[in-house]
This record gives sequence, structure tokens and C-alpha cells, in this order.
Amino acid sequence: MTMNYFISENIFTLNSGTEHAQANRTRLFNQVGKRAVYVSRNYNRFISHDREAMNLTADESINMYDYFQGLLYETGEELPLRLVPQLALDTYHIHSHGPNYSTLDEAGRQVAKITVLPGTVGLVNEIMWNDRAGNPTRRENYDWRGFISSIDYFHPDGNLGARYYLNRAGATVIEETFMNVDGQLQPTMWKLTQADGDQRFNTEDELFLYFLNQLVGKDGEAVLISDRRSLDAVIAKVAPVRSRWAAFHGLTENVHADGSTTPYDVYQPVLTTLKESYDGILVPTVRQQEALTELYPDSNVCVIPDTVVTEHHEHQVTEGAPDHQLLCVGRLAKDRRPEMALQVFKRVVAVNPEARMSLIGYASSTEYLEELKQLAKDLEVDSAVDFAGYLSDDQLGERYATGRVLLSPAKQEAFGITALEAMSYGVPVIAFDVPDTASLIHTGKNGVLVPEADLKEMANQVLNLLTDQSRWQTLSTQAQKTASAFLPNPVIGQWNQLGF
Amino acid sequence: MIFFFNSSLQPMKSGIEHAELKRMQLFLAHQVPALILLRDWNPTLHKTSHQAGLTDQQILNMFDYFQGTQTVTPKFVGVHDIDFGVAAAVYDEDPDESRYLVYDADHQLLGRINYAGENHRVKSVELFDGFNNLYRVDHYDERGFLSLADHYTPDNKIGTETWYDLHGQPVIEGYHRYDMEQEWRQTGWYLNDVHDHKEYTFDTIEEFTRHFLDAVNADYWSLAHPNIFVMDRSHLADWGFLHLKRPAYTVFHLHNAQTGDAQNPWEKILNNNYEFSLNAMDGYDAVVSATKKQTQDVLERFQPRAHLFTIPVGVVSDARLAAKQIPVKKRQFGKMVVFARLAWEKRLDDLVRAVAIVKQTVPEVTLDLYGYADSSDNYKARRMIETVIKENHLEDTVHLKGYTTDIDAVENQAMMYGLTSRMEGFNLAILEAISHGLISFTYDVNYGPNEIVEDDVNGYVVPNGDYQALAKRMIEVLQNPKLAERLCQGAYDSAGRYSEAAVWQGWQSLMVDADRLWPAKLAANRYITLDRSGV
Repeated sequence: MTMNYFISENIFTLNSGTEHAQANRTRLFNQVGKRAVYVSRNYNRFISHDREAMNLTADESINMYDYFQGLLYETGEELPLRLVPQLALDTYHIHSHGPNYSTLDEAGRQVAKITVLPGTVGLVNEIMWNDRAGNPTRRENYDWRGFISSIDYFHPDGNLGARYYLNRAGATVIEETFMNVDGQLQPTMWKLTQADGDQRFNTEDELFLYFLNQLVGKDGEAVLISDRRSLDAVIAKVAPVRSRWAAFHGLTENVHADGSTTPYDVYQPVLTTLKESYDGILVPTVRQQEALTELYPDSNVCVIPDTVVTEHHEHQVTEGAPDHQLLCVGRLAKDRRPEMALQVFKRVVAVNPEARMSLIGYASSTEYLEELKQLAKDLEVDSAVDFAGYLSDDQLGERYATGRVLLSPAKQEAFGITALEAMSYGVPVIAFDVPDTASLIHTGKNGVLVPEADLKEMANQVLNLLTDQSRWQTLSTQAQKTASAFLPNPVIGQWNQLGF
Repeated sequence: MIFFFNSSLQPMKSGIEHAELKRMQLFLAHQVPALILLRDWNPTLHKTSHQAGLTDQQILNMFDYFQGTQTVTPKFVGVHDIDFGVAAAVYDEDPDESRYLVYDADHQLLGRINYAGENHRVKSVELFDGFNNLYRVDHYDERGFLSLADHYTPDNKIGTETWYDLHGQPVIEGYHRYDMEQEWRQTGWYLNDVHDHKEYTFDTIEEFTRHFLDAVNADYWSLAHPNIFVMDRSHLADWGFLHLKRPAYTVFHLHNAQTGDAQNPWEKILNNNYEFSLNAMDGYDAVVSATKKQTQDVLERFQPRAHLFTIPVGVVSDARLAAKQIPVKKRQFGKMVVFARLAWEKRLDDLVRAVAIVKQTVPEVTLDLYGYADSSDNYKARRMIETVIKENHLEDTVHLKGYTTDIDAVENQAMMYGLTSRMEGFNLAILEAISHGLISFTYDVNYGPNEIVEDDVNGYVVPNGDYQALAKRMIEVLQNPKLAERLCQGAYDSAGRYSEAAVWQGWQSLMVDADRLWPAKLAANRYITLDRSGV
């Protein structure tokens, strides 16, 4: 049976729409009996944890380093730093310096620093040994599953000199060397040790190509989707397969003042030089398809939803006691304009003091997050605004289930994964009328589009939906209907039509 | 268990190694288990130790111990056993440098294989990345495994050294960094100790050595007898012996004079090698020297609480003592020999001067010098000897014979042995001489010659530097056949002081002392409980 490989760089702890789309697609395929796997290139010793946070099973995810390290199905156990078995606690003291790290001390002198896995209480992350002058000498990098995943050695200036990736038995399977090229320190070699002999590579992508070819094997039936533009070139070189695609996520083009568009630079190769290697390009909206086809008439651009709604969800607002929870979901970044959401909310709360708002998503920088929090204070709405951060799918589901309205103040929205997810919970969306939002949201039916940047009107529409229960109910019901088109069955139908 | 602690074993052994090997044979002969501990990494150690007659069970090297390679079934690693990770490597031999240059199909240099021996055993491999950087050098043990990898820095220095176990897992690491004065130095060690599966870090190799001693002490732990550690080279473990975790019986072994000038036991400046141990002497349980005279000098000057033992470092075998004795009349009249390096401290030009004087009265006198010429100062010692020969026209009397191992043949036919050294640690050669019945003539120098040679018993001891007096004594002996026979017999008889039984007696008294102290040490360290009732 055909195996579908959806390929990108990583599964992160904080994922963007691209990773969510790729994970949703992986789950969808496996749910309907097609075989699919989320393939990632980058070294990530938290991969088991991050994969679970994305609701992917071990069968649904293959990371290159995990694969060579033989850890794909490794389970292991989380390991508190105080229980690290190889620490000689009759020789060294563990001295805690707060929640983020401890030191290993001998006669009062630090011999190693032990950092804590992010977001955990005292789980071992890295043990950095140092010499008597405090220079780094050896770093043991722990896998989330509680064993040493790699060991780092350092050059005299403290820069990384070599990294040894280990298998579960502690033997080196990949050695990565960092040396100078034209005076610039960089990884210069990956040497892979396998039972049938060693292989050496000058770049990580050479190793990745070797890995993909091993994965795809002689299976001419494999289907590849490149989900990251940084990987289009290497995926183009993989041995012959049944079909090879590039999936575009989010916005693909610059929209100029006169309304004309040109694709971002990173999209160019797969539309031009690499075109012959690919069977087609997948985009989420018809408008993108039309725009690309106009520019590249002989390219095969197909439309396929960028996400899938797993099921109908019940909204939990009880009749007669509506809550007043506004949601704004997505990365907190300038292009998504969360400050506008705060300004809209200021107007809402002035009329309806019971209103509350949650900003859900990770910030593009801590500075920007501080800016937003300051703005909330300046607007005197900080006590009613919850900066919830990045939430898991399950946590996000709970927020959707009790949310009243989703605000989408973005300047542009390619597909609107969060809008669709909200609608699947019966949460109406209020968005600005900007490119591509119209493909999903229809004013008065399943949500409201207001003129671009018209904060006053957006606030009015919110207030209306907070109070007009019957209108809210109409929009809510219709929103769920809209989302139905993105349930597994209809979506997989579209994939089938494309020959997957 | 008794342990003898040293740095390494080289094919060319010095007096300390000879003494250690003889001691080892003595313990083997008495079936008392003993183990030579060696500290320094050495990829050809086992070959050398086999040649010295030691089995893998009789030596324990610190690196072997932690690498788990004390006993390894040897395997041949040849040039084509090295995997460079490319499909079609090209090998260019460079016989002048005993190496192969290895390239990939695009003539990119992958590495250089340095080999040894006719079968081209791989000694080391210099590895290059795809950008012509030397990034690592792998060193192979002659038993056929990767033992040490040197990781290079971008400025081509060894940054990290990694020693591996047989599974390729790093177990020992050494780190090098610049210090505040931009000196490149070793700044630390790391150990993943397979014995307790714990990780340790050390600032210096002395700390690492102490950990090794602790581990060995624990391995051979017994409440019945203490482990005895004999320090044959002080700088290796003079600190470590003082800081062992568990109790043991520690022995500081002098192999040389304790002062810079061996003739002056009260000289203010101490022998640098022993300065620390002498000052810290009461931290050890025992001090061993090879002669009574040295023991007496140490006792008088330092008044140590440590127990002093005199145990000769030379042993005359039972076979030698039982060998047929050869009277002077059956020997070549006037033949003197000496076995010594032609070196400054041996002062053999003085011996030639003495022979020159003797020749004027006894023309039959001859002198054969056996030994390598020391190369320092362009063979200065040998040139000085040659000058004296020339000045005195002794070309037919004195011969430089080079090195020989056939001591029996030479000494069974010679009559006399001469020694004019500036100082000695013991001098095994003159012990060999008396055991062969040679009449010995020596300067009165510490320590060894003036004790092994007993005046008017087995030869003569004359004032240090007085070669005329030495010549006078030689003439007396050569002119008096009766005296010569008495001294020859005296030589054979005096060798009995160094019989296996006599030397073993010395070690036995040390082991008895160790056992006597042991209950007190165990109690002080809470390994056994004394009756505390009523306290």
C-alpha cells in the first residue's frame, strides 16, 4: 500500500500553522486507512514529547536522528535530575539554584551545571561539565525520555566542536564535526555508523537525502509532500516515487498596492527550477490557485484544505446565561495585529464590563509580548485579558467550547485554520474583510466581516453578538455547518480526487 | 595484595624497572600475589610487558583498567580495516613516512594511516573533513582496537582526548584549554567509571590517579590483610597515597639518594624527586631504602614516625649462589671489568686513570668497559675516557666493548671489578660482580657501592675521587695471590647478604608490620568496631 511521507524540518514545542496542518493531515490519512507519516529532519531530543503534544503516535512520526539513533519506538521514563543514575552523590553535592538549573559541586566548587527541561519540575535537560576555570568541556544532552541522546565537546573558545549522537546503548551512531570553512566555524561533517559500514556527508541535507532514500527504499509507490520550502531542493533529489508534491501553507504572495501579487522568493524554486521534479503544488484556497496559475500557466496547482476538522463539537454556552469570552487565537506577531484585538476589546468592555478576552498563542518575541501586556495596561483592560500562551490541541478545544466570539484582526489570512477550528465548535468569527477571509466567512450567515481596520465597527459587532442571543445562535449553527465541509470524509474525498 | 606503582614499562628499562621486575619475580617465587600498577597510557605496553616476562594478570594499567582492556584477545587491524565512510577509497602508500594517504573518488583527502611493522599494522589514523581540516587522530592499541582519539581545534591543537572501551563508548576524557596567560594546558579529566557507572571529574592526573588507587583498593579489599601500595616513582602518587579513601598500607620507596649530593645526607636541598615525600613522610606507613646506610641517614636527619625498612633492590638468585665457584688462579690475571653506561655520573675516566697507574707496576692489567655510551654533550663521557686512554697509551690495555647480556661468560673469567661513580642508587652491576667472585674496587660513594663492597672482605673501598688509592689497592691484590684468593672467596660469601631468602625476609618484615597495623587502621576508619561500652 502506498506510504505517504509528509516532510518538514521539525515538530517544535511551539508549532506554527504549517506543523499543525501537516500533523492534521497525517492523522486524517491514517484515520481513513491511508498510510501516512510525519517526517522531520532536525535533531530534536524532545521529539517524543512534542509529537505527543501534536497527537501523533510513534507510527505517525519519523525523525531522521531518532531513526538513526534507533529511538523511534523508545519509550523510557522522565528523569528527575536528582535521580540521574550516574551522578556520584557521595562525591558531589547537587545544589539547586531555582527552578531552571542546579549545579554539581565538589568541596564548594562547581564541576557541572544541570539544566531543567523547559516547563517541567526538575527533569534533567543537559549536564554541562566544566574544568576548573569554568570552561565547558562536555555536555550530555538528555532525551525527554530520560537517557543521554548526545554528547557535545567544545573548542577552546566555547563553541561547539563535535557532537556525538548515541543509540540507546550509548554507542555513537552519528558524529557531527564543527570546524572552520573560510575562517567561519560550521558543521563540516556528519559521519554515520551503521552495521553495514560508515557513510560520511558534508552537509546535513546530504545526510537527509541518504535518510529519505533509505526510508522510501525501492518502494516506487511512495508519495512525498514537501511541507517546508527549505526542503524542496533535497526532496526533489529523492529516488523515483509515485508522486512528489509541494504543499504551500499560509500566504504565498506579496500583495502589491495595485492588487497584483508576486510569490515570495522561497516559493520560486519549486515553481521554476525544481518544477520538473514535482507533480504539483498544493494550496489551500482557490484564489491562491488562480493567482499562481496566472503567473505560472504550465504549473499544476491544486486546491486542498490546509486542515481538517476532526468532528462536530458541542458549544457549551447555556441558554440565558451567556458568557462573554472573546477569543483571539494565533501567533502573537505584528502581522497578526493582536494590538487591534486589544483596542477592539477596550471598546467592548467599556459597554459590557463583564466581557473577557483570551489571547492564545506564543509570542514572536518576549519583547513583543511585554509590549502587548503594556498596551493592555495602558488601555486599562489588563485585568480582563488573559495571555494564555501556546496551548495544546486539547486545551485549545476547551477554550473554543466556551468562547463566544473569535476575533481575527490579521491583515491577511491564507486559509484561517483557527477560524475554521472555532467554527467547528460553533464559535462565530468576526474578521476584517481582507484577502482570503471571504472564502470561509460570510457576513450574517456564519460570522461577520467588517471593513479593514474599522475597530469601532468590529467592537459593535462583538457587542451585538454578546447580547443578541438569537442572532448568535443563528451564526453559531451556521458556522458549524460551514465547518462540516472540512470533516474527514469530505476532505479525504478531495485528496482522493487528486489521486492520493 | 601488594601493588608496585610505576608510570610505564619501556623496552629500555632503568634501574627502577629492573628492581621492580626482580621484586615481582621474588613475590612470584614465594607465591604471594603482587601486581604492578602502571599509570601512563601506552599503546604498546602489553608487548613490552610480555617481553619483560610479565603476563597480563601481573600488570594493571590505569587506562586499561577503566577502558576494560587489561586482557584483550589480540586482533590485527590493517589498513583496509579503517572505514572512511566512502564507497571507493584510493590508497597511496608513502613508505618514507610509513603511512598511506587515503582519498575519495574526487581526490579529496580523507585521512592518513600511519602503520608499523612489515604487515602494516595500523598505529594511528589522521582524519580530515571535506574542507581539508584535520579534525581527529585515532590511536590504535597494538592489540587491535581504537584506544584514544585526539580531537583537534580549528587552530590545530589537541582540544579533547577521548579514550574508549571496546564497545566504542567514551570512558576517559582529557581537556586542554588556554589559561589566563594564553598557555595551552591540560585543564581537566573526566571519567565514566564502569565499576560503579558513575561520572567523575578531576582537575589533575594526580586526582585521577588517586581515584584509580581507591578503585583498586576497593577491588582487592580484605579485612584480613591490608592492601600494600609501594610507590616506586614518587611524583606519580606522592599526593594520592596520602589521600586514599579507604585505609591501606602505603610505602614510600627510595630508589636514589634523598639529597641532591648523595655524599652529603645533610645537604639542605633535597633530591627534587623526593622532596615532597620526605617532607610528608609521616603520611606514609613505611619508607624503604636499599641500603642500611641510607636508612640510617634518613633516620638521623628526619626522625620519621613512619617505619623504616632496608630491603635490597638487587637479588642474587639461589642458582647463582649455588654455581660452581672459580678461584682466582683459574681467571685471567689482571683482568678488570665494569658494566656501566659510559656517562658523566659513572666517571669511568677515573677508573682508566687508576689502571694506567697499575700498569706501570703490573703490566698484565687490562680493563674492559661494557655498556652503551651516553649521547649527552656529544658523547662527552666516552670522549673523556678515550682521551685518558690516548694520553696513557692504553690502547692495548683498555677496551670499550659495548653492551652485552652475556654477563656470566665475562665475569667468570675476569678477576676484578671497578667502580668510580659519583653517586649510585644501589648499583645492581657490582652486586652481580661479587656474586661472580670478582674482587671489587670502589670509591666510597652512597648508596650501594660502599655497602655492597666491604673493605678488605670482598674488595676495597677507597676515598671518593682518589684513583691513586684505588690503584694502590689493585696493585696490592695483584701482587699477593693469597690475598686475592681470600677476597675472591669473600666476594662469593658476601653475596649471601642479597640471597632471595635474605631479600624476602625484608619484604616479609614489611608485610608483618602491615598486618600488625591493620586492626588499628580498620578501627580508625570504622570498618571494625572496638568495644565502646563504658565510654
